[in-house]
Amino acid sequence: MKLLDLIQVLSTKTIKKIAYSVLVLLIAVDFIIPRHEIHFFGDKIPGFWSLFGFIACVLIIIVSKWIGHMGLMKDENYYDE
Amino acid sequence: MMSEIFNIQFLHPSVFYILGGLLIPFLKGRVKQGYMLFVSLLAFFAVVNLPYGTFGAYEFLSWKLTFLEVDKLSKVFAYIFTIMGVIGVIYSIHVKNDGEHFSAFYYVGGSLGVIFAGDFLTLFLFWEMMAFSSVFLIWFRKSKSSLDSGFRYLLWHVAGGLILLAGIMLQYSVSGDLSVQYLPFHGWWPTDFQSLASFLIIIGFIVNAAVPPFGAWLPDAYPAATVTGAVFMSAFTTKTAVYALIRVCAGSEMLIVLGVIMAIYGVVYAVLENDARRLLAYHIISQVGYMVAGVGLGTPMAINGVVAHAFCHILYKSLLFMGTGSVLYVTGTAKLTELGGLYKTMPRTMIYTVIGGLSISAFPLFSGFVSKSMTVTAFGEAHLTWAFIALMLASAGTFLHTGLKVPYFIWFGKDQGLKAKEPPWNMELAMGIGALFCVGLGIFYKPLYALLPHAVHFEPYTAYHTWETLQLLLFTQLGFFLLLKKLWCEDTISLDTDWFLRKGAKAFMWITKPLAKIEYKFIGEIYEFIIQKPIMGTAKVFKIIDTVVVDGAVNGLGKLTLAWSRKIQNAQSGQIQHYAMYMVAGFIALIVVIMVLP
Repeated sequence: MKLLDLIQVLSTKTIKKIAYSVLVLLIAVDFIIPRHEIHFFGDKIPGFWSLFGFIACVLIIIVSKWIGHMGLMKDENYYDE
Repeated sequence: MMSEIFNIQFLHPSVFYILGGLLIPFLKGRVKQGYMLFVSLLAFFAVVNLPYGTFGAYEFLSWKLTFLEVDKLSKVFAYIFTIMGVIGVIYSIHVKNDGEHFSAFYYVGGSLGVIFAGDFLTLFLFWEMMAFSSVFLIWFRKSKSSLDSGFRYLLWHVAGGLILLAGIMLQYSVSGDLSVQYLPFHGWWPTDFQSLASFLIIIGFIVNAAVPPFGAWLPDAYPAATVTGAVFMSAFTTKTAVYALIRVCAGSEMLIVLGVIMAIYGVVYAVLENDARRLLAYHIISQVGYMVAGVGLGTPMAINGVVAHAFCHILYKSLLFMGTGSVLYVTGTAKLTELGGLYKTMPRTMIYTVIGGLSISAFPLFSGFVSKSMTVTAFGEAHLTWAFIALMLASAGTFLHTGLKVPYFIWFGKDQGLKAKEPPWNMELAMGIGALFCVGLGIFYKPLYALLPHAVHFEPYTAYHTWETLQLLLFTQLGFFLLLKKLWCEDTISLDTDWFLRKGAKAFMWITKPLAKIEYKFIGEIYEFIIQKPIMGTAKVFKIIDTVVVDGAVNGLGKLTLAWSRKIQNAQSGQIQHYAMYMVAGFIALIVVIMVLP
């Protein structure tokens, strides 16, 4: 439980600050990391996978929810009626 | 056969589950618990002891049945199946219902039978045993919806099994050879009988691998199963199918496309899903998609990746099912809209589940990282860029749901004030073992790589690859928290491909009602006039001959049959569960007879 107490003590602001600095660091280091395995053009662009991850996440959420609300999502008793 | 096997100092590992399972109903309390654990451990050590080669060949009519064909591929699957057997037994050891233990034992025994089968008939026998034993893991939940789901599960698997059997029979008539062999299928449609045989076999396999559009049974059945039953089910059916696909269909290009579709399809449905166990079920489809696609690519690296991924997948997916199962066991619900704020009361379960979530997401230092990346890299090296990108996209989706959405909405999110506590010690122990494997394999992956069917030339922890994964996952996390409001769960179910069957069945019943009336009134009368009357006339003549000559001999036999059928009549309850139980009993009897025969 000590870990959980620690998380509760830390304010949301501090966590956010730490999280954002980690993300910035990720992109920064990507400029200097050695690249051995290049499978396609994206592997040559620094920060490519950061952008990819973010866009992928946004796309998955928005497109799936859109498909779901087109009529895939039904009330739980749908098949019983 | 038994004696022959005893002589050479080892046993078919499924013997422990199949013969060992028979004793479960006769034992009680601690003795029973200890016995089950002991049997599952024995099965594991039996696999350790197993030499490579072909054993247990048996002549049946004109066919040669081979029960035990051991090579690197079957052995690595046997290792993970028996490890999972031990974990599953520990997790379910408190369950009072002997039937549940019994079904789980035969389910595991069936899967071991499939992977060691040297011929298609043996494979089919165990294949069906898996379906008929696992359905009870659903039915023992004992609710109306589980009963219905179980029936649908059985129908899917019987249909898939029949297609597989048709393929096997065709293969036999074309080649005269029943041995399990490499029969890849190229293109999208069969062109001759040989390719039709491969096509039917591949369809039979992919029904069990839950490949869309034949995959709807999985998210229907697994969340309907018992808490402990779902843990077993998450491990065996789809992975046995992956094994069969590797053995028979590696390099069938169709599988690449289907696998990539699966990987994305599972992710899309996971966004919409509210039931935590059904969400995980959709992620089985997504993860098995990586494996199916890898089998389709078929290069040594891809096959290694698939096998390693199946190995790790069984461990982390069962861990996730154990974690969410514990929540269901303690709180009585697995719906994300009804859960939240459990971090105060179930923190250890949270840690185990998050470890499972990080493993499935292929986070560095967790098991998925050393296996998934091998499959994905195989696609990169084969320059199939579209598949590579699609699989990376699905990776982001995996972390989004299993690593973030499930833990967030169960343990954080909106505090629902549910009364909860950690689950019983045995459930926690099983989760602890699973979590240890997930972290252990992520760090000490060399022993796993040594078990893979081909020599491994792959190093997961290169600087760039680690960094690429971290970027992908942590920026997915950023997206998750920015779009948290959009991701809030809705209390709904999502229509899947089984809509056509479930609604179609209703329409069929609706159409057949008036048809039945027509049949009864109209066709019945025509039938009577044209067929029945002339036949009756002829029959009268025959009757005279019959009463005089044949009756004497037949009467004695008839009385005997009548007496027997009166007895059997009692067994005809009209409930399909009972018939299924008889069929399982028949399977068991058949297998026991074969095993014990000299």
